[in-house]
Amino acid sequence: MSFGPTRALTDIDAVVHPGEIVGLLGHNGAGKSTLLNLVSGIAHATDGSLRFGGEEIGRALTPAAALAAGITVIHQDPALIPGLTVLDNLVLGLPRSGSRRELRARAEAAVTRVGLDAPLDLAVAALAIGERQMLELARGLMSSHTRLLLLDEPTAALGHAETQALHELVQELAAEGAAVVYVSHRLPDVVEICTRVMVLRGGGLVLDRPLEGLTAEAIAHALAPDDDELEFETPEPGAEVLDAGAFSVRGGEVVGLYGMAAGEQFTLLDSITAGGRLGPTIRLDGADLRLDGPADAIAHGVYAVPADRERDGLVAGMAAQDNVLIPWLPRFGTRGWWTTASTGGDSYAAARREFAVHGPPGSSPLSAFSGGNRQKHLLARWLSVESPSVLLLQQPTQGVDISAKRDITRVVRQMAACGCAVVVASAEGDEIAQLCDRALVLHDGQSIPVARSPRFGAELLSTLLALADRHTPGSGRPTPAPHTESEAIRP
Amino acid sequence: MTIQRAKLLLAQNGIFIALAILFAGFALANPNFASLSNVSNILGQSVELALVALPLALLVISGSIDFSVGSIASLAAVSAALCMQATGSFWLGLTAGLLVGAAAGLVNGVLVAYLGFNSFVVTLGFLSIWGGLALLLSGGRGISGRDLPGEFAALASARIGPFPLTLLILVVAVALAWWVLDHTAFGKQVFATGGNRRAAILMGVPVQRVQCLLFVATGFGAALAGILLSAKVQSASPTVGTGLELDALTVVLLGGVAIAGGIGRISGVIGGVLFLRVLRNGLAFLQAPPFLQTVLIGATLVIAVALDSTVQKVVRSSWSRMRTPKSPSPTASTGSGTTSGATS
Repeated sequence: MSFGPTRALTDIDAVVHPGEIVGLLGHNGAGKSTLLNLVSGIAHATDGSLRFGGEEIGRALTPAAALAAGITVIHQDPALIPGLTVLDNLVLGLPRSGSRRELRARAEAAVTRVGLDAPLDLAVAALAIGERQMLELARGLMSSHTRLLLLDEPTAALGHAETQALHELVQELAAEGAAVVYVSHRLPDVVEICTRVMVLRGGGLVLDRPLEGLTAEAIAHALAPDDDELEFETPEPGAEVLDAGAFSVRGGEVVGLYGMAAGEQFTLLDSITAGGRLGPTIRLDGADLRLDGPADAIAHGVYAVPADRERDGLVAGMAAQDNVLIPWLPRFGTRGWWTTASTGGDSYAAARREFAVHGPPGSSPLSAFSGGNRQKHLLARWLSVESPSVLLLQQPTQGVDISAKRDITRVVRQMAACGCAVVVASAEGDEIAQLCDRALVLHDGQSIPVARSPRFGAELLSTLLALADRHTPGSGRPTPAPHTESEAIRP
Repeated sequence: MTIQRAKLLLAQNGIFIALAILFAGFALANPNFASLSNVSNILGQSVELALVALPLALLVISGSIDFSVGSIASLAAVSAALCMQATGSFWLGLTAGLLVGAAAGLVNGVLVAYLGFNSFVVTLGFLSIWGGLALLLSGGRGISGRDLPGEFAALASARIGPFPLTLLILVVAVALAWWVLDHTAFGKQVFATGGNRRAAILMGVPVQRVQCLLFVATGFGAALAGILLSAKVQSASPTVGTGLELDALTVVLLGGVAIAGGIGRISGVIGGVLFLRVLRNGLAFLQAPPFLQTVLIGATLVIAVALDSTVQKVVRSSWSRMRTPKSPSPTASTGSGTTSGATS
């Protein structure tokens, strides 16, 4: 099947049975999203057939028809309307059946079932990304009966506890007879709940076997035959560069801040560069100061990479090269008074090589690149042109494939090796374990230091977080998202 | 690759193809239409519209809009004329008019950029305020060119060497807009502000200053346009700029500037200005009823918007087909060493 300009999928022959949870794995651009779009009626195949419950449905399937047939899709980026309430988003698009009160009761049940702790009359804009994803799932449950559930990276923005809740729910649905296709980058998630694994590579199906008897190595090998673990040496840290009260970093060190999804580790990093009267006083290179907004932070060599790259990081309609170079243009040749396509072109080319960016030329809009390559552009802006003295990264490898993760990890470690102080805030233990020399588990004002040891890993971190959570009475609801409309962003 | 490039070029310059077809059509209908004198006539008529549309295009690209340009033009023309009358000095009056325009733009800019009001609402309000002020100041009557210094009357027909002054102003305005938008760091900041304001703030772009400056520039351009228009008709009327905001916004959108911001090209805006002037001039040439002009101009805008979404699709698919796997961008080949930028 070809989709748009490029041939996205060829010769996929896959069957999913009721009650089965199939893990669909593949790198960015391997064809996972295309496959989901086909089955949910968003895209149509140029050839081949698509049968659902014995009937051929491929030719004229529309999203509405798919929904009516019991095909529920949970998208990676929740398709919700932020200005409407939780309830309105849930009942939107449902056939008008039953009274408002009945709908409300059904909505209440769906929200409770997914474990979303939010009032029905709250505007969706106030929800964190992870909560929005749960709401999207609740919306899927509102339609009468789910026969086929498609989940696209459902846990990308979820913390440990939320992931567990989601997995339980998925297993429940499967036990009720639904067929489930679970798309993910995260191998541990797939291993945890799936009964069968499919791996897509380069638009073809390279692996389709029951999970039993399948080793993690075999799956990793199918994903990327030449994949190898990235090892780094922990350098001798230099002098303290940044002390933000809750944590401090030395030059050459990568410190992880681990916590809940949309947890306080993100709020903490946001507050450092936000400026305004509420900005914290920090100690930077031995001097006490308060950063007066993003521009001032940049001037001080403190560069921040936001968690929500599409909303806070990138200008999708703008040329890729400009996305990387904008903050730095006045530093080239004519101080910004005469810029051309070649201004900073060498720096951009070097950045592309450094991050191994694939895609169209730098003069094309960034939207023409795949997700992983867009993330590389965002990081290249802050890592490749000017050397920072402090890097504040939020989920730097979120939603990118293994090879992009490796490229990003390599560059971040390089920065540290050059003496930069790096802070990584994340809700993914894997990310912290892969990037950092040491970590702090942050929860409800508690801060648990974790040193790099043979046991340093996602498991240890999530255990510590669970412990911290147990110590705080009445907790469970994460602190508000760092990226909701905050005082900080409005200048 | 080259086919994609050609397609992209074609899609991005659709306004010029439409312009060529329109021009050819009028020329076939009446050979005198394509005469040198008429073409220079069309160019001469384009000056004022371009002076408003060019800075306005930058403002729209940055994510704002200004409906008050027509009224600013009227207010500036009236202010300039009154000042000339009072002082007897052409230059003092011209300066006063331009300052009034820039100040009106500054008021818009402060309210929108720094105080965070919606530009649509604010400038709609000032469309009435500045327009009403122009009427109040002038008592509702135009100030005849006979009562003003001789330089004012000569402004429209002045020549520098063989070139009309107005045409030179047009060339300077186009060059300035092209330089600012395409060849300065500020231009990139304009695109970033309109493309994703939050991201622009977080990458250190002074979005408030960018938008405020563009409002001032738009006010200045509108003032210059109002004064030139008055000089042409030899009378500073308080309604000289009426309707200018609609013409200007029409050509900005015809030229492919996205109303939501972040996308636009100076060449497109020039194409839009010429298209509107050719259409007006051609219909007048064919002695079409004047009200038909209004209908046709509205229709072209609607058609242009409909075509634009198709064009954007072509542009997007062309870019994504230009993928060059493994190798960095063409500009990358100019890079010399293999040392990473991060370590330098």
